[in-house]
Amino acid sequence: MMLARVADSLYWIGRYIERAEHHSRLCDVMLSAALDQNDAAVSVARRAASALVDIDATLGPEAIMAAAQSLILDRRNERSVVASLARARENARQVRDQISTETWERLNLLYLRVVSPNAERTFLRGPAAFLHSIIADLHHFNGAVDATMSHGQGWRFLLLGVHLERAQLIARLLNVCYGEQSMAAPLEDHMTQVAVLRMACALEPYLRVYTAEIDPRHLLQFLLFDEEFPRSVRFCVKRMEEHLTSLAQPGATADRNRPERLAARLSGRLEFADMEETLAPGALLSGVAQECSAIHHAVIETFVSYPLEQRLQA
Amino acid sequence: MAAVRPAPATPFYLPGRAYDDMFAASGAVRAHYRQLRGRMTALSADELADRQRTLEQSFLLQGITFTVYGAGEATERIIPTDLFPRIIPAGEWAQIERGLTQRLRALNAFLADVYGEQKILTDGMVPRELILGAPSYRREMQGVYVPYDAYVNVSGADLIRGEDGGFFVLEDNLRVPSGVSYMLANRDAAKRTFPEIFRSARVRPVERYPDLLLTALKSLAPEWRPDPQIVVLTPGVFNSAYYEHAYLARLMGVPLVEGRDLVVHDNMVHMRTTTGLRVVDVIYRRVDDDFIDPLTFRRDSILGAAGLFNAYRAGNVVIANAPGTGVADDKAVYAYVPDIIHYYLGEDPILPNVKTFLCRNPSELSHVLANLDKMVVKAVGASGGYGMLVGPHATIGERKAFAEKLKSDPANYIGQPTIHLSTAPCLVEGQIEPRHVDLRPFLLAGSKITVVPGALTRVALQRGSLVVNSSQGGGSKDTWVLAASGPKP
Repeated sequence: MMLARVADSLYWIGRYIERAEHHSRLCDVMLSAALDQNDAAVSVARRAASALVDIDATLGPEAIMAAAQSLILDRRNERSVVASLARARENARQVRDQISTETWERLNLLYLRVVSPNAERTFLRGPAAFLHSIIADLHHFNGAVDATMSHGQGWRFLLLGVHLERAQLIARLLNVCYGEQSMAAPLEDHMTQVAVLRMACALEPYLRVYTAEIDPRHLLQFLLFDEEFPRSVRFCVKRMEEHLTSLAQPGATADRNRPERLAARLSGRLEFADMEETLAPGALLSGVAQECSAIHHAVIETFVSYPLEQRLQA
Repeated sequence: MAAVRPAPATPFYLPGRAYDDMFAASGAVRAHYRQLRGRMTALSADELADRQRTLEQSFLLQGITFTVYGAGEATERIIPTDLFPRIIPAGEWAQIERGLTQRLRALNAFLADVYGEQKILTDGMVPRELILGAPSYRREMQGVYVPYDAYVNVSGADLIRGEDGGFFVLEDNLRVPSGVSYMLANRDAAKRTFPEIFRSARVRPVERYPDLLLTALKSLAPEWRPDPQIVVLTPGVFNSAYYEHAYLARLMGVPLVEGRDLVVHDNMVHMRTTTGLRVVDVIYRRVDDDFIDPLTFRRDSILGAAGLFNAYRAGNVVIANAPGTGVADDKAVYAYVPDIIHYYLGEDPILPNVKTFLCRNPSELSHVLANLDKMVVKAVGASGGYGMLVGPHATIGERKAFAEKLKSDPANYIGQPTIHLSTAPCLVEGQIEPRHVDLRPFLLAGSKITVVPGALTRVALQRGSLVVNSSQGGGSKDTWVLAASGPKP
């Protein structure tokens, strides 16, 4: 038994946590690329930035640095890392009775650190170290979720949020780099592709599968379809499907199964995709984005804001 | 870091006019404080400061904070917690326990009468207009069935020590008292701060509170509901006591609901779960009477559930505390509590009241006006230290202005002689100094009454201040109730 409001909050904790982590990683790439100042690096930084916000395609290195800083510490910027952490923590506070103390303390500690008056100084002294420690703390949080929360409904809603957000973010990153929306010719040089893999936290796992011969086709195959890598779109969708199957009770009406059916459909689409699709991945990537959004709405309608008259006999 | 004045042979401070928990008037250490005093002397100023910091960190980490609004952004603060526990010997506690139990029995009988036959009003023991005219009187409660006549299920009386050390009841707090989470969190912290003496002092445990609360709430559910669904109803995350609501729900293992989670259908209360609606049997509500049901009470409330009160009247759900208990802890009714105890129990009060002058009576009003510089005057309806005048600490101008308010609406005020609240040793900026304290023990009443052996001691952190409310710069400390067979000093 779980309150609808609680399920909603747990789901959003997962989404905000994942968003904060992904944004931290992209901002890190933006900042270091903008430091390098060469054309290829600046182009990578621009792509990273456009994976997060709609930006002007002619942005110079200084503007990119400024954008990154705002995307990290500016609380008024609703896409910033600090704003995501604050929202995750606010949601956690609303369901404080439903998450383990260990989990809460990890998140609360991280939140207190990034909103403390010292945060900006620490950031300016070493942006990379600052972001690195945020990511490490978020992993710590995810570890506490896994190791101290019961793997029941609440945990599933939280992880559903994590995987849905992750699938969307990776799809958007790939779309910016390789989809039709890409600002320039597809990225083919080695350094740029390494940067893309880094942004998806995929460099080392990729190298183990395809070695250091990086080409866009393999990269797309890996980040879209790999069965074992936890940040591939297929992996995320598969997990979403599992969680939704478990959350839809047996014998439920067709209506209750809707999120599960949508996830299974997307999962099948990825499983049986034609590898040729990686040559022009635009359609597939926007399809993933649309399907994820449809799953999100179905989850909210099914579990959170359902019409009462259908549910009076529970 | 300023050094603690280490004076092994002499007290850290000389007690003033008020009774001090640690030092007798002669300066001698009271027997039950000897061990603690030993630790105070043995630890260096740095060690004490270090333990204080660890304590504050742990509160912040756990999120035991309240929200302060203003200056643009809402900030979260911890309630200042003092390092040193306050110690209450078994003999004194036994009297408190008996006294509070007696008082709650009488007050519940009083509420059952007021919302029933009203014999006490007919007999003229308590003025009818005082009760029926009070804003906290809920006409809607007339004739409603309340299990065991336990209108008040959770309460937290405020006790103070007089100058001779005896305890008085200052307030009964029968509505939605808070602070119990601080009692539990303080205990947790004190155990870690003074593990050496905690073990040997034989402190009675308070940790069972959530369990006792759940038992009391379950005892209120109808017998035909074998596995009753209990919930805690909170106004939400913006309430200053939200931490406590979540804390109690978590430790009892029951859902923490908000008004928007509840749906009343066919006079049954349900909560919205991910799989549909589920019946709720007992609501431990931390929402004031006014806000629990917009159909019955305040229409602009969004904190409660529409139709809740009707479901309650129909006997389909239990609300704890029952609506309307405020009429028994009204500051004017307070003056009648000793009579109420006589009337229903035929006993003398074990714990005395503070002498109270009802300004509604002209002779008592003139006494209060004539002695305004020696009295504390409180508005009947207010709480939390608002709307009161501490005569000895007020300027002549403030007293004059207050006298005008008094004269224009005398029925709204009571006066009490200023009592020099007892003091207890506290760590203040590296020094051990006496600060005024009160005592809030917590009571539970379902099928029976339980007084939890512990309390929240509230501390007025400003030197000389007599106001202990957290909204007015007060802090708190752990309270150790010793077991009867404790070690001889």
